[in-house]
Amino acid sequence: MNPEATLEEARDQIDSCADHAALKEVERHYLGRKGVVAAALAGIGALPPEQRKQAGQGANRVKQAIQELVDARAEVLDAAALESERSGAGFDPSLPPARLETGSLHPITQVTRELEDLFLSMGYAVLDGPEVELDHYNFEALNIPKDHPARDSHDTFFCDDDGGLVMRTHTSPVQVRAMEQLEPPFRVIAPGRCFRQETTDASHDHTFYQMEGMVVGRDISVGHLIGAMRTLLRGIFERDLDVRLRPGYFPFVEPGFELDARCPFCEDGCSVCKRTTWIELLPCGLVHPNVLSAGGIDPEKWSGFAFGLGLSRLAMLRYGIDDVRHLFGGDLRFLEQF
Amino acid sequence: MLVSYRWLERHVDLDGIEPHRLADDLTLSTAEVEGIERFAPWLSDVIVGEVLERDAHPDADKLSLCRVDVGQDEPLQIVCGAPNVAAGQKVAVATVGTVLPGDFKIKKSRIRGVDSRGMICSLRELELGDEHDGIWVLPEPCPTGEAVAEALGLEDWVIEIDNKSLTHRPDLWGHRGIAREIAAIHGRTLRPLDTSPPETGDGEPFPVTVESPTCSRYLGLVIEGARVEASPDWLRWLLLAVGQRPIDVLVDLSNFVMLDLGQPNHAFDASRLPAGIRVRNARAGETITTLDGEERKLEESDLLIGSGEEAVALAGIMGGEASKVEDDTSRLLLEVATFDAATVRRTSTRLGLRTDSSARFEKSLDPTLPPAAAGHFARLLRELQPEVSFPARLSDVGDWSDPACELTLRPDRVRRALGAELPDETIENILTRLDFEVARAGSDLRVGVPSARATKDVTLEQDLIEEVGRIHRYGNIPEQAMLAAVEPPRPDPRRELVRRIQNRLSGPARFHEVLSYSFVGDRTLDLLGWSDEPHVRVRNPMARDEARVRRAVLPSLLGDLEANRRERSDLRLFEIGKGYRPEAANERGEPRELHQLALLWATARERVGESFDDARFARLRGVVADLLQSLGVQELAWSSPAAVPAWAHPAEILEVRGSAGDTPLAVVASLEPGLGRAIGLRDELASDVAVAEVSIDALLASDREVRRYRPIPRFPGVKLDVAVDLPESVRAGELVAVIEKAGKGQVADTELFDVYRGANVETGRKSLAYHVLLQSESKTLSDKDQARFLSRLEKGLEDLDARLRK
Repeated sequence: MNPEATLEEARDQIDSCADHAALKEVERHYLGRKGVVAAALAGIGALPPEQRKQAGQGANRVKQAIQELVDARAEVLDAAALESERSGAGFDPSLPPARLETGSLHPITQVTRELEDLFLSMGYAVLDGPEVELDHYNFEALNIPKDHPARDSHDTFFCDDDGGLVMRTHTSPVQVRAMEQLEPPFRVIAPGRCFRQETTDASHDHTFYQMEGMVVGRDISVGHLIGAMRTLLRGIFERDLDVRLRPGYFPFVEPGFELDARCPFCEDGCSVCKRTTWIELLPCGLVHPNVLSAGGIDPEKWSGFAFGLGLSRLAMLRYGIDDVRHLFGGDLRFLEQF
Repeated sequence: MLVSYRWLERHVDLDGIEPHRLADDLTLSTAEVEGIERFAPWLSDVIVGEVLERDAHPDADKLSLCRVDVGQDEPLQIVCGAPNVAAGQKVAVATVGTVLPGDFKIKKSRIRGVDSRGMICSLRELELGDEHDGIWVLPEPCPTGEAVAEALGLEDWVIEIDNKSLTHRPDLWGHRGIAREIAAIHGRTLRPLDTSPPETGDGEPFPVTVESPTCSRYLGLVIEGARVEASPDWLRWLLLAVGQRPIDVLVDLSNFVMLDLGQPNHAFDASRLPAGIRVRNARAGETITTLDGEERKLEESDLLIGSGEEAVALAGIMGGEASKVEDDTSRLLLEVATFDAATVRRTSTRLGLRTDSSARFEKSLDPTLPPAAAGHFARLLRELQPEVSFPARLSDVGDWSDPACELTLRPDRVRRALGAELPDETIENILTRLDFEVARAGSDLRVGVPSARATKDVTLEQDLIEEVGRIHRYGNIPEQAMLAAVEPPRPDPRRELVRRIQNRLSGPARFHEVLSYSFVGDRTLDLLGWSDEPHVRVRNPMARDEARVRRAVLPSLLGDLEANRRERSDLRLFEIGKGYRPEAANERGEPRELHQLALLWATARERVGESFDDARFARLRGVVADLLQSLGVQELAWSSPAAVPAWAHPAEILEVRGSAGDTPLAVVASLEPGLGRAIGLRDELASDVAVAEVSIDALLASDREVRRYRPIPRFPGVKLDVAVDLPESVRAGELVAVIEKAGKGQVADTELFDVYRGANVETGRKSLAYHVLLQSESKTLSDKDQARFLSRLEKGLEDLDARLRK
């Protein structure tokens, strides 16, 4: 082996390697177990003794030099690969992102959870009540006896059963059920489904969600009610909204109110507030003594307030849903958006 | 209810309380105002004109050519078609540019070759009446050039009050009641109103007998010499403002008294009451033709006004056709009565006949009101027709008592309930302004409730607290924080479970949550063969074929399937809801309520691959298994159910228990194929559909534990693949049992990765391939251990007529 010629030849080959695979091949050709250098070293024994040392040194020098060239070339290739990777050639920033397939929770569920969490954090318990309800709970115990004109506005679905069953028209029956189950003082909310036999349109459906709230304690006052409702609105709209209470008639509260909040969507009137800057948000009031009595609670000792919040309406406000019927439509193109 | 601002002014001085302010006052203290509008706003644009000359139109017989002074520099030339137009008249002129009702804009025009610069209006064109046989001739003193509204004092505002917010306030169903509120809010006094009974001659009272306790008071006033003629303008304008059509002075006064005092009343032609008045319940099957011309079938609970055996009016709702006042009526009987609220309400609801009268009676009217209303009517009529007479003493029959009562009010209770520091004097003052009589009794107040408020509305101390609160204004009550013990609310296991289910399904499982109506359609029930199953049934459904309340949630998911499949080739839906079982009602009659989760996974048939585990059934079963495990069900025991639900494939169905012997937690199945086709999943919508029903009730009752940590194996395991050739009749489960047995406790996991039929496997046989993981807790397994396992396996397989494939 001529060390100089071998080295020159190897240098050419190494420099022309375009990738690690080719380099590995060249490295093997010269430095492998059966490579050129190994063959030269194996041939030393056949040389005259005086040449052996020189030939051995030459071969080892070549070996070392080639190894250095290989390592250097590998570094160059690495650097080039890194450079190339960084160049971003072929990257099209206008390509769409990959679509992530996900599931979804119904908007009513999301709004309900948010409110449940808010009230749970304030020590309210969450109760459930049946959707097919006894007339007793839906009306009688709520101070709405048979033939009371207030029954008109309830547009009740009557179940053909002698026991006096109705599809509950509001979540208020849970007030009475709560009083039967719990010892005062207590604070509860009861979200759920309600039914009204009324013509459906973009803002009315015969099935909708409400959330009842009730607090029973000592000397619960209108002032407490106002405070609790303002806290509730802060939780929902994440800012302070002016509220106003005005008289509203609901037989199960006395005094009864409608609570209006300053429209969170405008300052000088919009379609949501019907250009009044107030939105009618929730009916509420102090629990009527007859209702406390119907629930087995002494109205001389205890008092309380109750309120009802329209969850369907709130979900519509929250997400800008323009047709309430989407909520029960089961259309995936709607559901997927949440 | 519509309220006229000018009408209110008859009862209270409104100086300084402009209409919008008044509407706000009512909203904040009394009842919900739904809207406020100017009455006939066009009357501010229509002006008083004087007809200077009237000439015949040169080219048309029926038209006249008028020169009308409207207070401008030059008189206007107007072509008019009315026969009654004449020089010297004051008339209502709509000049060019004025917009009349119906968006009718007056323009310059040429009529038969003659220019016309405006229109002389009839009452009908101004929506002030039905008369259209001529123009409206204004009274002489109207100043030419002034707006008609101003000249005639017709400017008014109409305030609409939400009837629902007046449900408990019979006293607010007349203008005087509303005026009393305004007076109380502003501390003004009501203008005096003579409420004494009418002065009558001393003839024998008209014979009246009351046979039913549902009429507590019946007044009859005989009126002679009344003329049936048009009402004076002031009366017409007020009625028009509140949406009533003026008819004649008797009808109009009757309405006026009702709308003024809230007391309905009715005038009969006395000559059609030969046998006097008899207030009684209807006989079964009896009929009456009401004033609207409809024949009404009555029931025994309906209250009637009769004369002898004849029915002449439906009490408190509508008069009868046969006894109505005609133009030639010379003797009238005015009825002013108090009828039972529930009776009137029941009858009017049943007949679908809601009238201004029934709306008031059903609120429980004050029985002391009829004499005042009768007197009011009589005085108004005599003012208009001084020659009328009331020859007979007032009939006044009935068993009634004055509802006025006395309540004790504890001022401290007011302060505590409202959360406002109101001095006793303020409380007294507010109540006095509202016509309550207040006297001190020690630290308490004795409050006399006037009869008008005592029929239903104010009967408890709490009701008085409301009176104080609303006039004080709730907006003046300071916000207060509630003080209560700091303790976590009691846990609610079902809600927590539902949340975990929702999270697992909407998250890792990528399902979409649906909410469906609780009503289930007859068609769906027919398809399921559930039509005869007991259902809670609604008597008045939205649609006749959607009267039943669902027994189970799952069928609801099928409803949206076809429409959704048109839009999407892969659907994963779940719903959490309630089903009702009337056959399992409790002793109170409440149907048993089931809490259920339903799942559905549907994929276009052509998208389901050949791979052994790509069927939706297998996929959904995986979702259910994962869900149950994530909820802490430790062991899942799958088995074939004894009964197959109608929605399930007869063979491809499994139920799962937390441990053998428990109530099943869930059922997973392919959708019954015929049902799938019937709901439209065929041809291009052909789908592979799996469904599952999970009982949330059973899950709640089951033993669930937090999943415990399992130590990570200390010694490496050996993974090997095992392919077994076995007869079709042998089930995978049997094979796995053999594999586990051959492992002698060392088989840590088996995972099926291929099912194969075809070349190299005989017909009637199949190949199942498993990844098997052998693991020991005490040592690293060697090749020898693996060989021993395989030889035991080969031996075990012989019993199944199976063999290892090489």
